[in-house]
Formats: sequence, structure tokens, C-alpha cells
Amino acid sequence: MAVTALGAGTARRPVVRLRKMEDERWLALALLAPTAILLGLFIAYPFAEGVMLSLSSARVGDPGKFVGLKNFFKLADDNIFWTSVWNTFWYTGVTTVFKLALGLWLAMLLNRHFRGKAIVRAFVLLPFIIPTVLSTFAWKWMFDPTFSVINWTLFKVGLISARINWLGDADLAMASIMVVNIWRGVPFFAISLLAGLQTISPELNEAAAIDGARPWNRFWYVTWPLLLPVTMVVMLFSVIQTFADFQLVYVMTGGGPANATHLFATYAYQIGIVSGLLSEGAAVSLAMFPFLFVIVVVQLLYIRRVETR
Amino acid sequence: MANAKRRYVLKLAGSAAAVASTGLAGILATGRAPAFAQTRTVHWLRWVDFVPASDALMRKELMPQAEKELGIKINFETVNGNDLQPRATAAIQSGSGPDLIQAFNNNTYIYANSVVDLTELAESVGKREGGLYKYCRSLCSDGKMFMSMPWAVIGGMIAYRKSWFDEVGATAFPKTWSEYREVAKKLKAKGRPIGQTLGHTFGDAPTFTYPYLWSWGGKEVDADGKTVVINSKETFESVKFMQGFWKDGCDEGALAWDDTNNNRAFLSQTISATLNGASIYIETLRKPDQYQTEKGGPMNKDILHAPLPAGPAGQFGMHLNQSDMLMKYSKNQDAAKAFLTWMHTEANFEKWFVSQKGFATPPTAKWEEHKIWNEDPVMAPFKVAAKLGQAPGFAGLPNQKAAEALSKYIITDMYAKAVQGMAAEEAVKWAEGELKKIYSV
Amino acid sequence: MIEGAIWRRWVFSNLPLILFVVVLLFPFYWMIITTFRPDGELYRPWNAANNMPFWTNKPTLEHIYYLFEETNFARWMFNTMLIAAASTLISLFCGVLAGYALARLNFPWAGSLGTLIFITYLVPQTLLFIPLAEIIRDFRLGDTPWSLILTYPTFLIPFCTWLMMGYFKAIPKELEECARIDGASRLKAMIYIIIPVAVPGILSSGIIAFTLSWNEFIYALVFLSSPDQKTVAVGVTSELIRGDVFFWGSLMAGALLGSIPVAIVYSFFVEHYVSGLTGSVKG
Repeated sequence: MAVTALGAGTARRPVVRLRKMEDERWLALALLAPTAILLGLFIAYPFAEGVMLSLSSARVGDPGKFVGLKNFFKLADDNIFWTSVWNTFWYTGVTTVFKLALGLWLAMLLNRHFRGKAIVRAFVLLPFIIPTVLSTFAWKWMFDPTFSVINWTLFKVGLISARINWLGDADLAMASIMVVNIWRGVPFFAISLLAGLQTISPELNEAAAIDGARPWNRFWYVTWPLLLPVTMVVMLFSVIQTFADFQLVYVMTGGGPANATHLFATYAYQIGIVSGLLSEGAAVSLAMFPFLFVIVVVQLLYIRRVETR
Repeated sequence: MANAKRRYVLKLAGSAAAVASTGLAGILATGRAPAFAQTRTVHWLRWVDFVPASDALMRKELMPQAEKELGIKINFETVNGNDLQPRATAAIQSGSGPDLIQAFNNNTYIYANSVVDLTELAESVGKREGGLYKYCRSLCSDGKMFMSMPWAVIGGMIAYRKSWFDEVGATAFPKTWSEYREVAKKLKAKGRPIGQTLGHTFGDAPTFTYPYLWSWGGKEVDADGKTVVINSKETFESVKFMQGFWKDGCDEGALAWDDTNNNRAFLSQTISATLNGASIYIETLRKPDQYQTEKGGPMNKDILHAPLPAGPAGQFGMHLNQSDMLMKYSKNQDAAKAFLTWMHTEANFEKWFVSQKGFATPPTAKWEEHKIWNEDPVMAPFKVAAKLGQAPGFAGLPNQKAAEALSKYIITDMYAKAVQGMAAEEAVKWAEGELKKIYSV
Repeated sequence: MIEGAIWRRWVFSNLPLILFVVVLLFPFYWMIITTFRPDGELYRPWNAANNMPFWTNKPTLEHIYYLFEETNFARWMFNTMLIAAASTLISLFCGVLAGYALARLNFPWAGSLGTLIFITYLVPQTLLFIPLAEIIRDFRLGDTPWSLILTYPTFLIPFCTWLMMGYFKAIPKELEECARIDGASRLKAMIYIIIPVAVPGILSSGIIAFTLSWNEFIYALVFLSSPDQKTVAVGVTSELIRGDVFFWGSLMAGALLGSIPVAIVYSFFVEHYVSGLTGSVKG
């Protein structure tokens, strides 16, 4: 008796503390604390600093003073800025469509039983795994006007008679960058969509087949609606990444020729870091935020609708 | 001109040490190395030198020697030239980082608020070595202070294939742009065009477009440094000529080349000439067996260098100017200054200079007489690279605004747009609009 | 899948798959061939008569030797692995806890907090890195792996949290309630019942987080300065691009060797990865 009483007595305090954890609000607070601290310190605070920076006249080594929205007005009058806005949308839109279409196709192809399935799945992920900067250097060389292996192949096959100037022409340079982005993104789409496909029970498809549905109809009326939630989530992450892309353009063209391939991030870098106009660079970066925000909110709302359906 | 008797005694605040700046001999003569209270680390950030031997020399010989003689530790860091600016910006904003950072061209003006005045050192070295070139002085000093210590100039010259130029009848390198265009036309007809980038790259693009603009009489701003005068008949002529020159004589694939593309194109014999540092030639010297001409001889025997041709308004050059900034946030300013002084003593600097084999031209006149220039006639034209240079922002100062225009590639893009099909008037107007945005603030 | 005639399977499935694999892997083949190609062959223009871009007769190990003897490559690999592993662990820890709280607990503003965490993912790096540089200095983390270990979670946590939220949502409520009826506390139920069930989800978010940090470039470039602190991506680009010359062979060798550790991780986990994602996307 005495022993148990003693035991109960010493065990009392931890129990009280743990009981607090029984309250969902306290538990939630405790569980969210590490995230809140890290994100608050390394995102919220720098973000606020960044916003202040964009409202000032700061240059490198000169804190400047508060100038209100002046930097943003200057941007509104900046052709290169609008080119990069347009480029970013174009780049994000085109690559996302291709990544989705090709990724979905690849996912369907991988969602079968064949020999060496595991190896093929691991191999197709390689483009997603390799550090972007380094793989982009490889691509840069493949597009090099003097040494392009792509030109060599096209020439030998007989498709072209003179070389194609991949990175020297404004439109081709953009197309080349898109190709690399798609190449990098397709595996991620494919593997994630493959995961989605595997949640769809084969019986559904078989039942539809027995009812006489053609393959295309089976896909459109059975598979696609079930896959939609996954697709939207994958697209959401991909759009965010693509919209803020930096490394790829930085390595391939540096924004040239004649600013034809600048994106938000590379232009912000060009102005803020290379020209030292920190405030204007911050303004460009920040200008990306509302655009991205709108896109993402639309996507999130759509996801919610799809999910609750 | 080195006067061994003349000694500059620099007062180094915070320590009673004196460093004789007339070389190793000076330090030995004083009988002791300057002693700092404790061992301090001086962090020096530079580009990855094109000449690997020079970085090796720094790491294995000069830095250990400096550590021993100055009683400090040195952290010698090299990064890719394009990455120097983000490092400098982050370091300045966070108030910590390398004590000495290498600056290119007039970037010095961008960082002017954040550096320590080096007038004393720059002037003493200049005085001792026959004077600083105007080019280096204007890029490192705004007239009131030296924002950085001039280190060297990476000369930009046209490297060309002698035999190929001979074959089309150009036994001497063309003197004017129109002659050059004629020769280029013939060369391109034989499948050997001129290779010139108009892309966004810090080295080879602006060092071509700026001098080209000046040689036609075009300039960004008036001497007052405020009035934008790019929209002139001269500029227009230069753009018009460029459109034809590009089509007639240049490799049209070169529009977005970076600093490395033309080296590779030249070495693989697809272009006959290109504006570049001496790096192409040095590479062929390093590996004579690998780089052979189409006739079978070593390519290095078939390369010559020439300055850019002259236009109606004269002949100009712009070169990659390198200097070292001593950062204001540095807690080791004394040690860093002492180190920089040590590095610029003739005996020490010479070791580095010799290892460059002419790739870099020192910022002072005295080195023109150095025997290394006689060793190889192919390298001789680089001797006067720094002497003939003109700074961006002409006819104004190469100040922060000029630096902004340079880093936004406005002049380069003006030509790039024109050769891509934009009408010459429009391209000039576009550049005028962009320059006005910079200079009107 | 319903199988048709053999030719149909080839035309509609096998051939496209082969095509996909070839296109996706071609750049890797290109890197391999470049790694082993002697310098003399590297400088052949695309239309040169003797150009054989897809093969080399004189393979050489010179570029790989260069990489290991003249640069700190081994050290960079170690740094990158350390940084990626540590920041992944931190992000997983935070993401799992936060994901659990947001998905399974009732508390005020749960929804908006979830959205807020997600929005942090949208903040552009180019805006953050100057202020971050100041924070790094204040904590005296400059030039240490910690500067990256602590900043990488900023873009990893939102990702992990969202993935884990989806996964936790998909686990039936009853599972937890049973445990609670048996007398387990909430915390215990979470640690001993729910988290083990969520292991596949944790694995796949961990793999993605690891890949993302392996990939990062800007922060690594700015926050690290000593040659022996650098990561693979920064080290390879800063040491193998000299002035205006690229050391192509070694650069490609570095790129290849630099992706091998992640590739190994993936080849072990790809099946888990797929099933893990499956769970989290079901929600």
C-alpha cells in the first residue's frame, strides 16, 4: 500500500504535465512549436525585412531611406521587367502542360508489370536527382552552337542541313530552357502520378471494360477523375518551383540574348545582386509574390472542390 | 625605377609595426617581421585564375611566405568570376566575410560605401613603379579616394589565325572596321567567320561593344555625367554597320555565347578570330599536341594578337580591370592592409606576374619594360593593354550609374537587338530609354 | 490492364517506354562519355568529319584523377551528404509533428495555420537571401554547415508538412480511438500507433527533402566560403570553371559522381517512395 502510494506520489507531476497534452490545443501548440520557430526566424522575419527593403532606396552598403512604392512604379515602367513577367508565365505554363502530359503518359507506362520494373523506375528518376546546376551544364554543352550533339544527330538523320542556333535565338533559347525544365520535371510527375494510379483499384477499370468502354473512355471517365486530386497537388508544387526557377536560366543563358530569357528570379538577381540595387531587386522578387499567390489560391480552391466532391 | 633607398613607412594603426614597402629586401633590412598581437586571419577572395599555375603559386609559395613574414594566417579563396558579386553583396549586407574581395571593372563604384580608402597604398605603388595607368586609376578611384587597390588588367585583344588571314589576302591585321568587314566577309565565305558574343557575359561582350561604340564616336553620356547622348548619328551609324558586319562576317551562332564559347570555337577551328584574353593562346601553348591546325602543325604557331580596329573616331579598348577592395566591415584591416602592401612589393608581385606569362598586365607603367614581354612576340601586344584602355560610362565617370548600365548590358543588348532584326533607330532609342532611367534618378 | 495482341503492346507500351528512357537518360550517357573522353576529342565541332559524339576509342581516367587529386571533391561530397541528411532530419521532425497537429487535432485556426505554412513556401529565395545573410552573421554561423542545415528547412518544412498532412488525414480516426480506449495518452497514441503507420509517408517526404537540399545552390554559394566547406554543386562549378575555360571532363565526372549517393538512396527506396506518396495523396 505504502509503496504504491509513494509511487503514485512521485509519478504525479509528469502525469499533470502529460494531462495538459491531452488537451488538443496544448498538444497542437507543442507540436507546431518547432516549425513555427524555424519558419518564423528564417522566413517570416527575413520576409518582413525584404518587404522593407523593397520600400527603401537601399543599395549595397547603403541602407537608404523609406521611399514608399517608388521602386514599384519604376518597375511598372521597365520593359525588361514586363518581358520577364511574360517569360515567367509562358515558361511556367508551357512546361507544366508538357510535364503533366508526358508525366502522366510515363506513369501509365510504368504502371504495368514487366521485367526490370524496379530498375526502370529508379532510372527514370535520375534527371530529378542530379543537382540542377550540374545537369544544366551538361545540357548547355549539348546545345552549344559549335559542338551541339543534338545538331549532329539531327544532321545525320537528315532533318536539318544547317545547324540550329539553340541558345542564340530568342525563341529557341526559351524553347531550349523549357526542354531542360521538362526533362527535369517529367520524372517527378511520373513517379507521383504513378503513386496516384496505384491507389485506383484495377477492378474499376476491369468493370468498365466489361461494360464495353473503349480504353480512351476508360481513362477519361474512370481513371482521370480519381487521379485528379493527386494531379492537382503535384501540379501545385511544380508550378511553384517553376515560377521561381533560377538555376537553370542562370547557367544556360544568364537571361540573354538581349534579355529574352529573363525570369522573375534571374532578373531580380541581375538587378539586386549584380547591379547592387538591393531595393529594386527586392521589389522584383516581391512582385512575383502576388502573381504566384493568385495562381496558388486558384489551385488550392480547385483542389478543395475536387476533394470534397 | 624601383628605388631601393626610398622607403615608405606606413603607420599601421593599432600596431606599432612598420612594413617597408620596397620589397622583401626592405623587410629583411628592418630585421624583423611586423608583429601582430595575436595571429590573425586575413581572408582574400579572388576569381579562379585562368592560369592554374598562378593559383598554385599563390597557395603553395606566396601565401605561406606571407604568413611567415607577416605573422598572420591567410585564407586564400577562389570562386568563379561570375560569383564574386553575390559574395560581395552578401558579405557587405551581413557585415562579415572576406577581408579583401576582388572587384572587376567599375564594380568598385557599386561597393564604394563599404570599402576602406587605399589611396596611400595605391599612390605609393604608383609613384614607385612609374605611375598608375589612367584606366586603372579611373576605375579604382573616384578622385577622392581609392576604393580598391589596382591589381592587374586582363587585356582583351583579337586573337586570330595568321594563315587564314593570309589566305584571303590580309597579310597585316585590318586597321579599320570597314577593312575588317571586307576581310571577315571573305573569311566567312570560306566557312571561317569571326566569332563574337553579344550575350550576357561579363568578359567578352562589353569589352567588345563599348570600344566599338566609342570608335564610331558614340557615347553613353556627356562629360557632365548626366545628359544621355547615346541617341546620336554616330551611334546610329555604328549600329547600322554592326548589322551588316554581323551578317557578312560573323558566326551568327555566337549571339548568346558566354566567355568560354569563343575559346572552344577558336580551338576547334570553327572561327578565324575573336576578341579574348590571351587564354586561347596560352591554352594552345599548354597542350601543343592537342591543338593542331588543319595542316598538321601546332596551332600556337598560327595565332597572333591585335587590338580592335579603328573607327571614324579612333581606336579604343576596354579590358577586364581587377582590383582588391579592403572591406570596411573587416576586423583585420591593419593586417589585411599590411598583407596587400606585402603582396604589392615588387619582388612578390613579380613572381605572380611572371607566372601569368602576359595574361595579366600590371596597372603601372614600369612593368612595360619587364623582360617577359620580349620572351614571346605573340604576347607583346598585351603589354600596353592597360595603357590604351578606356572606362565604361565615357564621357562621364565610370561611376555607379555607369556600372549599373554595364551590368544591365544595355550597350551590348542594343547591338544584340539590332542584329536580331530590330531597326537600328529603334535599338538606339531603346538604349536611350534604358540609359535615361538610370541616369535620371 | 487488359493485354491485347503482342504488336499492340509493343507499339503502345514498350516502344514509348523505351523512347522515354532513352531521352531521359541521354544526358547521363553524355556525361559518362564526356568523363572518359580525352581532351583532344572534346574540341571537335559538331560537323567535323572525325566527330564521333557517342563513342570514344581512347577512354581516359585523367578527369576523375584530376577531380580527386586537384580538388576537394571527396570533402564536398561528405559536406553535401551531411548537410542534406541533417536538414532532412530537422525538416522531417518538424513536418511530421506539424502535419499531425494540423491533420488530426482540433484547435482554433488549424486551417489558416496550414495555409500560412504553405504560403511560406511561396516566398522567393532571391528576396530572402540578403536578410538571411544578416541572420547567419548574427548567429555566427557563416562558413559552417549549420548555416545551411538551418536555412534549408525553410523550404523543406512546408513541403514535408503538407505531404504528411495528407498522409495523416488518410489514416482512419478509429485507429487512434481504439488505442485511447485501451488507456494510451494522446501523445502515446501518436508516437506508438499513428507515426509507425505513417512511416512510408515519412520516407517519401524524406527522400524528396533530401533531393531538394542536395540540389540547392544560391544559399550554398553565399553562406559558405572555405574551399573545404563547400557542397558538390558549388565546389564543382567554382573550381572547375577557370576564367573562360571549362574543365568539361572533370565537371561532368563531378556531376555524375555527385548524383550517385542520391541515386543509391532512390534505388533502395523507390518502391517505398511510391507507396508512401500513395498514402499521402489518397487524402
